[in-house]
Amino acid sequence: MPYISKLIGRPVADIDGDTIGKLNDLLANYQGEIPHPKIVALEVKKGHSIITVSIEDVTVLIAPAVALNKKHADLENYEPRPDDLYLVRDVLDKQIIDTNGVRVVRVNDLELARVDAEIYVANVDISGAGLLRRLGLNARGYRIGKTAGRRALPGSISWDDIELISGDQPMRLKVPSEKFTELHPADLAEILSDLSRQEGQEFLGSLDLETLADTLEEVEPDFQASLVAGMSNELVADVLEEMEPDEAADLLGELPEDRSQELLELMQDEEAEDVRKLLTFPEDSAGGIMTTEFVDVAATLTAEEVLQVLREKGKDVETIYYIYVTDQQNQLNGVFSLRELVLANPSALVSEFMEKRVITVNLDDTQDDCAQAISKYDLIAVPVIDDERKLHGIVTADDALDKIIPTAWKKRLPHLYH
Amino acid sequence: MRAGNLFWKRLKPYRIRLALLLAVVGPGIITANVDNDAGGITTYSVAGAHYGYALLWMMPLVAIALIIVQEMSARLGVVTGKGLADLIRESFGVRATAVLIALLVFANLANTVSEFAGVAASMEIFGVSKYISVPLAAILVWFLILKADYRTVERVFLIASAIYLSYIASGVLAHPQWDDVWQGLTTPTFLPESGFIIMFITIIGTTIAPWMQFYQQSSIVDKGIAVKNYRYEVVDVIVGSLFAVVVATFIMIACAGTLYREGITVQSAKDAALALGPLAGKYAQALFAFGLLNASLFSAAILPLSTAYLVCEAFGWEASLHREINEVKIFFAIYTTLIILGAGIILTPIKSLIQAMLASQTLNGILLPVILIVMLILINNSRLMGEHRNHTGLNIIAWLTVIILISLTLALVVFSVFPV
Repeated sequence: MPYISKLIGRPVADIDGDTIGKLNDLLANYQGEIPHPKIVALEVKKGHSIITVSIEDVTVLIAPAVALNKKHADLENYEPRPDDLYLVRDVLDKQIIDTNGVRVVRVNDLELARVDAEIYVANVDISGAGLLRRLGLNARGYRIGKTAGRRALPGSISWDDIELISGDQPMRLKVPSEKFTELHPADLAEILSDLSRQEGQEFLGSLDLETLADTLEEVEPDFQASLVAGMSNELVADVLEEMEPDEAADLLGELPEDRSQELLELMQDEEAEDVRKLLTFPEDSAGGIMTTEFVDVAATLTAEEVLQVLREKGKDVETIYYIYVTDQQNQLNGVFSLRELVLANPSALVSEFMEKRVITVNLDDTQDDCAQAISKYDLIAVPVIDDERKLHGIVTADDALDKIIPTAWKKRLPHLYH
Repeated sequence: MRAGNLFWKRLKPYRIRLALLLAVVGPGIITANVDNDAGGITTYSVAGAHYGYALLWMMPLVAIALIIVQEMSARLGVVTGKGLADLIRESFGVRATAVLIALLVFANLANTVSEFAGVAASMEIFGVSKYISVPLAAILVWFLILKADYRTVERVFLIASAIYLSYIASGVLAHPQWDDVWQGLTTPTFLPESGFIIMFITIIGTTIAPWMQFYQQSSIVDKGIAVKNYRYEVVDVIVGSLFAVVVATFIMIACAGTLYREGITVQSAKDAALALGPLAGKYAQALFAFGLLNASLFSAAILPLSTAYLVCEAFGWEASLHREINEVKIFFAIYTTLIILGAGIILTPIKSLIQAMLASQTLNGILLPVILIVMLILINNSRLMGEHRNHTGLNIIAWLTVIILISLTLALVVFSVFPV
């Protein structure tokens, strides 16, 4: 398949055989649903003048010299559309996001393909061999490239797996969030940590609210803070509402006091309440890492009724695997698991099958205590109570472990020197 | 209390501006201090010792040139949000990038050699052989960047850089003829001999080192300074540049006032240390050694690091201090190789460490016009810079600097072929 680096610089001749210039760039655009852009025009340069020729006027593009089917004088200048992509100017040598490999890579070359009578951009070459080809070290380079690139990144990525980082282009291509919403937030966070600060902002700007919140949750609070620094308060408030209250509290803790206050005021009262409450606890206590989103029911309900409750509330809580039993004064009296609920008789009362001896931690216990309780009793989450045994929240296993195990995988501020 | 609060509130816009300024300050000041590395200290010392006040007139002009270049690099970083190597790759393609990066790596290697030379020279003052001090320094530097928190290292370095102020003190205490100093500052002297021309290029090359442009731009991109806060960054750049040149000037004055007067040429660091005599008396040597060591170690750490980053940035290889080594093999290899080569070359029998340090700075001066031309092309590109591209006036001054530099290098070549 021909590479764009080989085509650029080739002479362009009209139907009379006169050279009208050298091939300088190729313009491409998406046709219908096909995920690969089609070549729609050529940019031909002679001296300082540039003419853009529509692909309709080209007899053959992939040849030692590009042949046109009109006389020079009869050529009409092609008007580039705002969403036309200049392959050399905007794609070649630029950084792109590989949504398949979840990383940011640089375009070393572009592979074209001819389908029927039309030329499409097939793949992006990111390999070392591609670099060598650009340097003109072809055959030798290919061999070196093959041996050196053995265990390295795969050489080519299909165009439909990549996403351009806008920046230089006046207009983005497809709706970018399509590809991104399919990726796991942890992967999005990984990509985010590879981008520069400006690019990162734009990247986040292209995500929908829910994905944005999920992605932010995957990065360290100080990284979160630097990312939201550039966002409007309204947007940040919306994101905070989407986030888990304990994550939101962590983020707010990193922001300057006055901004933090403004954001809390912009948030919906209910959400703000939860977050404010969490903010009152010291960061490294059970109160500081717990979440207030759990399910609690009265002991007088039947199993069937509890399932009903789960169907209503299940979507909004952190976990439905443990259901806590509380009384009128909000005191924790028991707990049961989803397994026990499902296996119980639908008409059985909660008080009959719940576990009365509940493992708990106190609001001011340390994170270590939480982690120990969770690992000792093989729990998924541990409830947090105060001295009067009132239930305030739960600490999930991943949150407890997060603070204990060095967060190598939680994405950190991308930095060179700081 | 209320009145106090009101006063505090009224100060708010100024407080905000000050806070912004302090938040942004960093890259310029740090780069400026790094400017006075082993090569720098040596160059200015030799210039003062061998030519007296005759080269002082250069310093204000070099200051202007430095500010202009640093400002352009800062503007490029803030507006595009990308490092210089990144911009070069995106705008000039692979071939040009390969050539430029190769030149830069070569120059940076020479500079790294110079830093380790500085380590060797400074420790020789204490009687420690270079065969001990250099390998130790190499290992220390290697570990420092990989394991230590960079910010702390940077802070320690900056605090230790306060030592340069001792040059200012020394320069004054040497009781120079201030008339002569003024004369030197205002009268351009130019001797068409290769030694003089070399010194000229070397001074420029050490004050406006190509690698510093890459380092500063990366630092700025790192900080994520928004375009609207750019003016605070300009203050940072200007203050940093001025500080660097003031210190450099006083190094020259101090050496002129002590060494040139006595007719002592600088053959080794011990000679250069005498310049601090007026201030520190018998502690001059220790003071000088400490200052040189501090400068050399820090630069020996960031030069290889900065080079590794920019090579990987240009060719799209993974570069990070926070990943596992086998994920960032090439980055790691470049960094390590530069340290090994830099230290290794110093360990070979070299006649004069001083000459080695000077040569690397001359190389900088020769490479500088190339980098300047690249920066000028980038900063005048309206697609990249939009409304922030260069004004015509700035372009004229910048291009003038480039032309002067290239002519000097050509003159040097001519004079080496036809010795004068």
